[in-house]
Amino acid sequence: MGKYWAAFSLSIQQELYYRASFLMERARSITVIIAFYAFWSAVFQGRDTLLGYTRSQMFTYILGMNVLRALVFSDKTWELMHEINTGKISSYLMRPISYVGFCLSRDAADKATQLVSSILEVALAAWLLKIPLYWPAHPATFAVFGLTLALAIVLYFLMSYIVATFAFWTSESAGPRFCFELFLEFSSGAFFPLDVLPRIFQSVFSFLPFASLLYFPLNVFLERITGPLLARGLGVQVFWAVLFVWAARRLWERGLKAYSADGG
Amino acid sequence: MNPAPAIRVRNLSKTFQVPVKAPGMRGAFRALFKKENRIVPAVQDISFDIAPGELVGFLGPNGAGKTTTLKVLSGLLYPTSGEVEILGFAPWKREKDFQMNFSMVMGQRTQLWWDLPARETFVLNQKIFEISDKDFRERRARITELLDIGDLLEVPVKKLSLGERMKAELACAILHYPKILLLDEPTLGLDLVMQKKLRNFIRDYNRETGSTILLTSHNMADVEELCKRVIIIDGGRILYDGDLSKIVERYAPDKLVTLTSSVPLDIAGLKALGKVISHNGSSAELEIPRKDVSRVMGLLLAQVPVVDLSIEELPIEEIIRRVFLENG
Repeated sequence: MGKYWAAFSLSIQQELYYRASFLMERARSITVIIAFYAFWSAVFQGRDTLLGYTRSQMFTYILGMNVLRALVFSDKTWELMHEINTGKISSYLMRPISYVGFCLSRDAADKATQLVSSILEVALAAWLLKIPLYWPAHPATFAVFGLTLALAIVLYFLMSYIVATFAFWTSESAGPRFCFELFLEFSSGAFFPLDVLPRIFQSVFSFLPFASLLYFPLNVFLERITGPLLARGLGVQVFWAVLFVWAARRLWERGLKAYSADGG
Repeated sequence: MNPAPAIRVRNLSKTFQVPVKAPGMRGAFRALFKKENRIVPAVQDISFDIAPGELVGFLGPNGAGKTTTLKVLSGLLYPTSGEVEILGFAPWKREKDFQMNFSMVMGQRTQLWWDLPARETFVLNQKIFEISDKDFRERRARITELLDIGDLLEVPVKKLSLGERMKAELACAILHYPKILLLDEPTLGLDLVMQKKLRNFIRDYNRETGSTILLTSHNMADVEELCKRVIIIDGGRILYDGDLSKIVERYAPDKLVTLTSSVPLDIAGLKALGKVISHNGSSAELEIPRKDVSRVMGLLLAQVPVVDLSIEELPIEEIIRRVFLENG
C-alpha cells in the first residue's frame, strides 16, 4: 500500500507545483458558477418551479454539479496517454507496481485537490450570493447519494481508462479523447439538467452510462429520483460498471500485448 | 562446474511488423483503406550466457538489435521465438520477484518525475521496492556521495543538466541494489569528467554488490575501461562474443607506429617496412604486424634519424569497425 500512497503524495505535490494552471482552472469554475447562477436566476424570475425543479433544487443542482464535476470528472488519463505514446509507461511496467493502481493513486490525488477547492468555491458562492440550497429531508438519502456517487466515480474512471487505451494503437488518440469529453459534459447533465431535453432523448439517456455520472446522483440528492426509478438507475450504473470492467481489462491486456509486440 | 548463469538467452528472435506506405499522395490514400505490413527481423537467433557478477559490453551500430534485446530482457517485449531466463524468471511475465531484483536505465528515458526534485522519486522507489528506512538512508547517502549529487536532489529534475539528470537517474535506478542492471548508453551526452565519474561508479557498484551488468555504449572508452567481455551484434546477429583483449589480437594483428624524423622521410623506404597509413613531410603513421614490431623498430632506428616514436594498439573503434567489415 505504501507505494500507492507515495504515488498519491507525489501527484499532489506535482499538482501544487503547477500553481498557475491550478488557479486558472479554479477561475474557470468560479466563472461557470456565476454564469449559471445569473442564467437560472433570470429564468426563474416570477416562477416557483421549472421543469419540475423548485428554485432551491435548481440552484443546488448547479452548485452540486460543480462539486460533482470536480469529484467525478477529474482524472489524469491525458498523462496516461502521453506515457503510452512516449514510452514512459515502460519505466512503470519494469517496476513491481501495478500500473492501474498507480493510475488510481494519481486520479485520487487529482480528485482530492479539485474537491477541496470546489467545495470552498461553492460555499463561498452560496454565502456571498445567498443562494437557497436544498437539503435532503430523509437522512437515508445521503447514504444512497453516496452510493450512486461512488458508482459514478468508478464508471468515469473506467470510461476514461478505456478511451485512453486507444493510445496503444494510435498516436492520434487525443481526438477521440476530446470528443469523448465534450459529449460527456453534454450528456451527463453538466451543462444543464437533462430534463430540458425532449422526452425521447431523456428516455434514451436514462439507459446510457453518461447520465449516471452527474445527473442521476444529483437528482438522488435532490430527492427527485426515488423508489423504482432509483432502483432502475442503480441497476443501470451497475450494469455499465460490470461491462466496462470487462472491456477495460480486455482492452488493457490487448493494448499491452500490442505495445510489447511493437516496442515502446 | 560453473554457477547457473544470471542471464541466459537461447535462440532468441524478435520480428516487428512495420507498416509500409507506397510513396506520395496515392500511397497515403491507399494506406487509409489497406495497411500493408512488412516483417522486419530485429534480432535473429541469438544465444549467450552471462554469469553472476559479470560486466559485459553489448556493442553494435544503430539498428543492430541492441535495444530490442535489452527490451526483451527487461520484459517489455515478448520474444517472437527462443528462450530468455533471468535469475530463473521469464522476464515478460513481469513477476514481482524478478522485478525486485532488476533495473534498466535508458539514456533517453527518465523515470524521474520531471517537475519534482529527484529526492521525491527516490521515495517512490523506496516504497515500490520495499526498502527499509535504514537501508534507504544509508544507500542514498552512499550513492549521492559517490556520484557527487547531494545538492542536485533538491532541485526539480527539469532544471538539471543532461549529465546531472543522468547521474540522478542512475542513482534512482539502483537504490534497490538490483542484481541485474541493464544500462543503455549511460554516458550519452556527458562531458569527459562526468563520463569518467559515471564509469568509476558503475565499476564500484559492480564490485561492491556483485551485480550482473550489461551495458551498451557507442563510447569505446566505456567499454575499454569497464568490460572484460564484449558481445558484438549487427543486423540482429551476434558477430563476436568473448574477451575484449582477444578481439584485439584477432582483428588487430598490427600495431600502430607513429614516428617523427628530423629530416623529410623517404616514403618508398618506409613502405618496405610496413603499411603506411599517412605521412606528412617528416612524420608518418605505419601499421606493423605485431610479431615484426621489434625487428622493424631496429631497422627504423638504424635508417632514420628519429625524433619521436610511439607504438600503440589500434584504437578500439577501428578494431570494432573491422569486425563489422569482415562479418558484414
